[in-house]
Amino acid sequence: MLQTLPTEAALADAPPKPILQLVGVRKTFGSFAAVENIDLDVREGEFLTIVGPSGSGKTTLLRMLAGMDTPSEGNITLHGELINDVPPNKRPTCLVFQSLALFPHKSVGENIAFPLKVKGVDAAARKARALELMRIVRLPESYHDKNVMKCSGGERQRVALARALAYDPEVLFFDEPLSAIDYKLKKTLEKELKDLHRETGKTFIYITHSLEEAMVMSDRIGVMRAGRLVQVGTPEEIYGAPVDRFVCEFVGEVNTIRVKRGPDGLWSGVDVPGSFKVAPPQDGAALDEAFVVVRPEFMRFLGPGESADNRLEGTVYNEYSLGSRIQYQVRVEAKGGEKVMLVELSRARALPPGADPHVTLGWDAADAFTLES
Amino acid sequence: MADIALTHAPETAAELRHARMLSAGARCALPVAILLGIGFAAPLVAILGYAFATPRSFDVFRSFTLENFATLFNPSNTVWLSFLWSCGFALSTVAILAVVAYPIAYGLNVVFGRAAPLISVLFVFPLFVSENVRLYGWVLFYIKNGVLDGTLKWLGLAGGPEVLFTPGITLFGMVYTYLPFMLFPMTLGLALVPRDLVDAARDLGAGRLLIWREIELPLAMPGILIGMLLTFVLAIGATAEAKILGGQSIIVISHDIEIAFTYSQNWPLGSALAVVVTAFIGGLTLFALSKLDLDRMLGRR
Amino acid sequence: MAGISRRSLLKGMGTGLGALAAAGPLFNSNKAFAAREKELNILCWEGYNSAQVLDPFRSKTGATVKAESLTNDPTMINRLRAGEINTWDLINVNNPWARKVMLPEKLIKPLPKAEFEPFFDKMLPEFKAPYKWAMSDDGKDLIGMAQRFGPYSFVVNTDKVSRKTAEEVGWDLFNDPKLSGKYGILESDDWNVFNIFIVAGIDPFKVHTPEELAKFEETAKRVFKGAKLIGDIASMNQALISGEIDLHLTGGTYSVSPARADGHPELRAITPLKGPLAGGKGGISWIEITSTVNNPNLSPLALEFLKYVQAPDVAHTVAFAEGTFNPVAQMGNKACFDLFTKEELDAIQWDSLEEEMARSVEYDIVPNYDKALDIMNAAKRLRG
Repeated sequence: MLQTLPTEAALADAPPKPILQLVGVRKTFGSFAAVENIDLDVREGEFLTIVGPSGSGKTTLLRMLAGMDTPSEGNITLHGELINDVPPNKRPTCLVFQSLALFPHKSVGENIAFPLKVKGVDAAARKARALELMRIVRLPESYHDKNVMKCSGGERQRVALARALAYDPEVLFFDEPLSAIDYKLKKTLEKELKDLHRETGKTFIYITHSLEEAMVMSDRIGVMRAGRLVQVGTPEEIYGAPVDRFVCEFVGEVNTIRVKRGPDGLWSGVDVPGSFKVAPPQDGAALDEAFVVVRPEFMRFLGPGESADNRLEGTVYNEYSLGSRIQYQVRVEAKGGEKVMLVELSRARALPPGADPHVTLGWDAADAFTLES
Repeated sequence: MADIALTHAPETAAELRHARMLSAGARCALPVAILLGIGFAAPLVAILGYAFATPRSFDVFRSFTLENFATLFNPSNTVWLSFLWSCGFALSTVAILAVVAYPIAYGLNVVFGRAAPLISVLFVFPLFVSENVRLYGWVLFYIKNGVLDGTLKWLGLAGGPEVLFTPGITLFGMVYTYLPFMLFPMTLGLALVPRDLVDAARDLGAGRLLIWREIELPLAMPGILIGMLLTFVLAIGATAEAKILGGQSIIVISHDIEIAFTYSQNWPLGSALAVVVTAFIGGLTLFALSKLDLDRMLGRR
Repeated sequence: MAGISRRSLLKGMGTGLGALAAAGPLFNSNKAFAAREKELNILCWEGYNSAQVLDPFRSKTGATVKAESLTNDPTMINRLRAGEINTWDLINVNNPWARKVMLPEKLIKPLPKAEFEPFFDKMLPEFKAPYKWAMSDDGKDLIGMAQRFGPYSFVVNTDKVSRKTAEEVGWDLFNDPKLSGKYGILESDDWNVFNIFIVAGIDPFKVHTPEELAKFEETAKRVFKGAKLIGDIASMNQALISGEIDLHLTGGTYSVSPARADGHPELRAITPLKGPLAGGKGGISWIEITSTVNNPNLSPLALEFLKYVQAPDVAHTVAFAEGTFNPVAQMGNKACFDLFTKEELDAIQWDSLEEEMARSVEYDIVPNYDKALDIMNAAKRLRG
């Protein structure tokens, strides 16, 4: 089930060649399939993020790529060579562990120089290279002899990164290394990682459960669910053209309205009364029942005289500040009670204080996704 | 006052008054302190007292002489032979156990999986049987026409090797007896090595030998060293193996102490010997512990 | 620090610990002045501490009877010397200690002569009153009762070394280089001192010259070096049965009788025909004497117990108590003798008992035992 995406054709004039290729990769533990039939081309030099909730199989996938597990079925090739059974120490790849797996009995310098020691590089050259890598990951030179367990969380991240770079791998894997870091530092490190990717030109494969992290750093994102790769695409494609409700909801909070098509070809709401203008599904399937999914930021309040493809009357009962944006919770009439719809506006377009809570919601059919129910 | 009252049961009225003045905590601790004083400290103090008593007498605390120590350190006294043998046996036991127990400990942690608890129990089980009984069992195994010899002869072979009542079998007995005391600290030590670190080292290109040398061994070292220290201390005080399996082919140091307390009826000399051996082992242990900084090895400092 | 000086504290601790060290395992020195009608403590060789012997007495008297067995005389006597005189009521050791050591040191006290002397009349002929080892040196006091006895020299497997050869060659067997590595030594070090002297051709029970001690040392080194193993009675019997060894130094009916009773009549205690002992005798025998301890508060049951073990059936039980089987003096009484089966008489080598006892001198004290033992212990260390 190779994901052929419309944009790939557009990029055809300069297709970066695949460095890693997965064909029909499957991993089972007993009767349980942790990873199910994955096809994926990883392009040389790209920053690819695999994202999915916990238990979706992304770590298992990564362990197979790093060589710590072997696929039950399917092939993994690197530069066209089958590497299914090549052990991790024989692969030109390197993994930055979620735990970072720093050697607690070694100094910062010794940790970073470890792969060089393995290769038999002499002590002086090891130290020189370690210091060079410490500069690259922005660690002060004085840290060379510091015990690694005395470093802060962010410093340890940098040590782990420098150690992986010291191995000089063609592909770097990251297993949620930023999951235990506080928000502000995480933002800094995300950007640094992105910079590092650009500077080194190496292929990065990153795993996370946070789509936000993925959006910031990645060239492409693969979304995993229950062992399957549901969608692979650029952040824009994942955001703008989710293939299903799972991907759509994974990206962020959404408004969902169930609709069905009447004999007259018009769509009417199942849960929310009214008729709606619905765009045809992206894959062109002919549906009689569907979900209309509207992101909160594509919803707006309609003033007098303003128009939209679809409208709903409702009452604002709550508002949350999201920093530069404000989210409104709006109750609308629904079958069997009420339904809450979300609207997100920039502060510039916020409702004035003391405004009438009775509002009219509006959105255009082109801004909504029509997905199989 | 508390320290005095703790080591000395109050007798006079004045002392009783002082005892009543103790804090509630000290009063609650009193029974345990007295028990420890009688059960743990008193025998040691008695041994120490005897060590300085007139040889072959029972004048403990009533006489003071260094004669017993002079006897021990007299060059014509061959007791150093026993001491050397004990040290040699203990060091060999530790060395052999380190090599034998490591693969088992590794297996318990990494290889045996769900069978590991069962296998652990198998290693613990012999501890429920008296050591002497187990050693007599080995005698029956190795003795002429015993289990090994008899079985081999029954199979038409030449018969078992003549190993019983030799220093070698003594060492075997010690390795056998003290295996659990090396195995379990070592297993714990190896369990302290995070799998991630081994995976990471491998991922960074290291082969098995290098991972073992650079990662596993240093990180498991606290457990290994505790096991070594424990087995050394136990082995240097072992007698049953040399007596039962070794047929007293070697007189070990604790056997010498025992002889002094029984047939020789020279309690002061036996006590002096016990004091010297205890001081040696204690000094060695403290020295080892001070040199081997566990915190630093674990990277906590 | 008011009220207690450092000195008085140390003194207090000293006496406390001294008492502690002296109190021994029963720890009942405080009960010394309590009524002791219902308790009895016996310090003895293995056998008297068995349930077979003690249980009937316990149920008869309803008393708490404790018995501790040890495997050498000096240890038992030193327990009394170390202050346990208040603990024990009866002490059971080999013949010379009561008369030569414990009575002069006031560790034991005489028995009521009129009450106990008649028991000797029913014993084997050699025990007829006044029996030397049961009497004080001046012959006035009866100081203990005799029961178990036996010859104790060495033990051979007659399938490997015939009884005739063993008796004729005697102690020189242990001087024979051909037998090196084929014998064991029982770890009964007081007896080993005797026997090393005898192997060296020296009478152990006299004061020795430096030349004799040098000969003793040389012999000790050689005999211990040549031993296949040193061990306890069970180890010796097992090694004899399995064929690990052909004979072992120090042993007699006391040690070999359990193996003989267990179906190994080829194992046999040997008393050589001749040797360097007084009168050219070839072996040493022992006779246990049980005496009342000079306990200031002696249990009245002590005398009861001494009478109890004279009864034919109890004497037979003592002879065949678990662990070791021995002839008893009470076998002179037909009622007692008739209780012994043929197998039991075989186990204790009854057939040759009389002649072997006649060929043996009686256990005695080596004047320079401490010196000889030190030499022997040093010789043992050179085995390895």
